[in-house]
Formats: sequence, structure tokens, C-alpha cells
Amino acid sequence: MNELANFLPTVLSRSGLTVPSALIPVLAMFLCASIMAAFMGLSAAVLVWAERKLAGHFQCRLGPVYVGGKFGWLQSIADGIKLLLKEDIIPDQADRPLFRLAPYPVVIGVLLAFIAVPFSEKLMVTDFNIGVFFILAVLTVEVFGVILAGWASNNKWALLGAMRAAVQMVSYEIPMGLAILPVVVMAQSLSLKTIVAAQSGGALHWFVFQPPFFMAVSFLIFFIAGLASLKRAPFDLPEAESELTAGFHTEYSGMRFSFFFMAEYAGMLLVSAVASALYLGGWHGILPGQESVWWFLAKTGFLIFVMIWIRWTLPRLRIDQIVYVGWKVLTPFVLACVVGQSLWATLR
Amino acid sequence: MTAVTTYFSDVFKGLWTAMVGMSITLRYLFSKPVTEMYPDVKPKTPTRYRGIHVFEEEKCIGCYVCAKACPVDCIEIGVVRKGKEIKITKFDIDYQKCMFCDLCCEPCPAHCIHMGPEFEKASFTRRGTILQFATPKTLTEEEKKIEKIAKK
Repeated sequence: MNELANFLPTVLSRSGLTVPSALIPVLAMFLCASIMAAFMGLSAAVLVWAERKLAGHFQCRLGPVYVGGKFGWLQSIADGIKLLLKEDIIPDQADRPLFRLAPYPVVIGVLLAFIAVPFSEKLMVTDFNIGVFFILAVLTVEVFGVILAGWASNNKWALLGAMRAAVQMVSYEIPMGLAILPVVVMAQSLSLKTIVAAQSGGALHWFVFQPPFFMAVSFLIFFIAGLASLKRAPFDLPEAESELTAGFHTEYSGMRFSFFFMAEYAGMLLVSAVASALYLGGWHGILPGQESVWWFLAKTGFLIFVMIWIRWTLPRLRIDQIVYVGWKVLTPFVLACVVGQSLWATLR
Repeated sequence: MTAVTTYFSDVFKGLWTAMVGMSITLRYLFSKPVTEMYPDVKPKTPTRYRGIHVFEEEKCIGCYVCAKACPVDCIEIGVVRKGKEIKITKFDIDYQKCMFCDLCCEPCPAHCIHMGPEFEKASFTRRGTILQFATPKTLTEEEKKIEKIAKK
């Protein structure tokens, strides 16, 4: 963002616009925010289409085929227009202000987290010195929106979904937070840029492939906990279509519903991006010396594919099973990884 | 088994079975979809499919056997007989009643009525579901007098 702020005056003077110098950082901020928001919305649209298409083929179907000529590639745009035109219904018995407020924390949580994602060495909004921690902290805001939505809807299914979200959050958040620690121990930094830079030099330098493979296990745990944080199958209990109609967003329609929807898909992108930055070498290619934003996007895309793959394979877990997995499986394993990696780092 | 080994084998089994399931779905991902693009591409019906009837008017001898055999009385036949000459003036099948049981085709002595492969004959009116198989003919006054219409 700072580079953009340095770069902006020359662009502006060339195009013949005069902007007071005090406004330039504000303008840069505004530009970055709009680019990130547009990126998030567009990627959500693409991901929705990709998910439907892949889901179809996983079940020997075709998925969308008609909209936009071949492959139904305009399907999510059509859905978006439909959602925009739909009536925004607020139930009579709902808590109106809270009901209206609830979608925003969900979207803002994901959108804020995007500013610390390192797409490539230069292409990132800003490099926090606590980048990973920031992303995890901000992503947690999403849960408040979910609980708020469930409570304000005044609907028993929505409330059940929200309570499940709360229970689930307590069990996945700890392993997710702990899973980044081996990486931090290895890279000696919380800044995502430094972490990715520490993995340069080919696939064998990526943190997943580092012996003694504590980070490979923590990658797996981070990924599983990430799935749970996104409320995706097999951890989609807060939504649980077959039991709770649509869980916390049962009462939402139109644009407010699409906020929840968008946040889920943008969250997929975010968790995959963070996982590929932390463990899979970010913008570094398979061979030493390869560096490109496309590597980063390819790894992220692959992880998203795995997420979709898992969703269309595994059935939903029960709530007690999720709590069991979170507390009794993921947490001990990730603690062992943290201790093991720290010992390895000190003894080496 | 002790509790510890049960725990570790459970964790392993959980991961392993998930991977087995994922390998199955991956195989399905690359297999050919079973979707039939129905309105665009018409499916091929099997050879003995019992669809809309096929009627061979030139073979028909106007014996009403099919109409008599029909359990739901959906066939209506009109015949004009002059010596050896047979004119089929009417051969209507009401597809609101027809249940595609094939019982009309079996007794036909001339083998002129068959079950066909067609199935798209839905209509917005009741009249439209009664299909007329006989080619329309203009009858003389004399012929109109001797025309026999059999409902059964």
C-alpha cells in the first residue's frame, strides 16, 4: 500500500489531476480497499460456480450448463442478480437492528483478513509484523456475526445453528491458533512476508516438507480446523441443511443472505491462501528461483479444490464428534507438534 | 486393546477412511456424467418401449378388436364398408385414459397397431390429448349413412 501511495502522485500528475498531498494516502487506502473488496466478490462468484460444477462432476452430473453458453460460467452472476432483486425480508418477531447488523461482521471479518495475505513479494496490501495472528484474530469476528444472526432471527433453527457455531468455534479455534506456532518457530517471525521468504529455494524448502514433519502434521491440523472455521462440510453443523433448514441464516433473504454466502466462499479463499503461504511456500515455485503470484494462486486453488472435494465426500459430523475431534484429537496432536518443533529448533 | 492403542487406531482410521472416500469421489469426478440433456438431446427409448401407438391405416380391417380389448375404452374407431373396400374414417386414442398396457396390439389380426417409441404428447387442452390416427377423409352422403362408429 505504501508503494501504491508513492506511485500514485506520478500517475495522477500524468493524467492531469491535482490532488492535495495529504489526500494521497487516503486515496491509496481507498483504492486498496476497493480492489480487495472487488477481488473478494469476484472470487466468491467464481468459487460458487466452480463448486457447483465440481459438485456435479463428483456426483456424475454436469452441474450448471446453460447460463452463459458453455459450461454455465455465468451462473453465479445470474444468481447474484437474482439475489440483488429479491425482497429483503425481516421477520416480524426478529430483533430488527441486530438482524440488520449481523451480516456485516461476517463480511468485514473476511475482508479485513485479506489485507495481510501475501499474494506475491510485492503484491500485498500491507505486511504486518503480526500478519498471521492478525488474520486469525480478525477471522474470529465472523463467529460473532453468525451468533448475532442466529439470535436476532428469533427462530429456533437459527438459534440452534448459532449455538452450534459457538460450540464448534471453541473447539477448532485453539488447534488452529496453535497450528501456526511450529511455522512461527521455524521462521522466527509472525509476518507472512518473512514466513514465505523463509521458504525460498524450491519445493524441498517449503515448510510442509521440512523434516521432522511436525509442520506437515500441523498443516493438516490447520487445514481441518480451517474447514471447521469456514463451517464447511464435514463441519457444516451451523448450517446443516437437512436438520436446521439453513441454520443461522434461515431467515435471511436477498442481499443479506448473499453476504453470508459470499463470506463463506471468500473465507475458503482466505484459509487456503494462508495455508499455502504458511506451509506451501507461498509465491515460491516448485523449482528453485521460480517466483510468481501465479504459483500462489495455483496452490490456493488446489487447496480450494481439496476443500470442495472433501465437502462432496464426507458426511456431516455430529456436534459431540466435532468437540471430540477438536479437543481430544487436534489439540493434543498440535501441542505435540509445537513442542516437538521447538525442541528440534533449539537442539539443532 | 488398551485405551491408548484404541485412540491412535481411531485417529488413523478416521484419516484413512476419509482418504478412501475421497479416492472414490475422485474416481467419480473423472468418470463420464450420466446426465441426459433431455430437451436438447432426446433419449433413445428401448426397442420394446410402450409409448404412443403407431397405427398402420392401410393394414387395418376395421374389426374393432383393439377397441374391445382395451380395458379403459380409450380407442374409438369409425369404419365405412362397401363390399371389400374398407375406409377407416376415425381412429382416435384418448391418451388421458390410455395406460399403455399393450393389450390393444396383441389381439389385432392384421398387426396394424403397435406401441411406438414416442412419448412427448403432452397438451394444454383435454382435446389435445386425444390423438387422431386416421387420415382425414371427405365422405359422400351415401358413405356417411353406412359409417359405423364403435366405442366398444
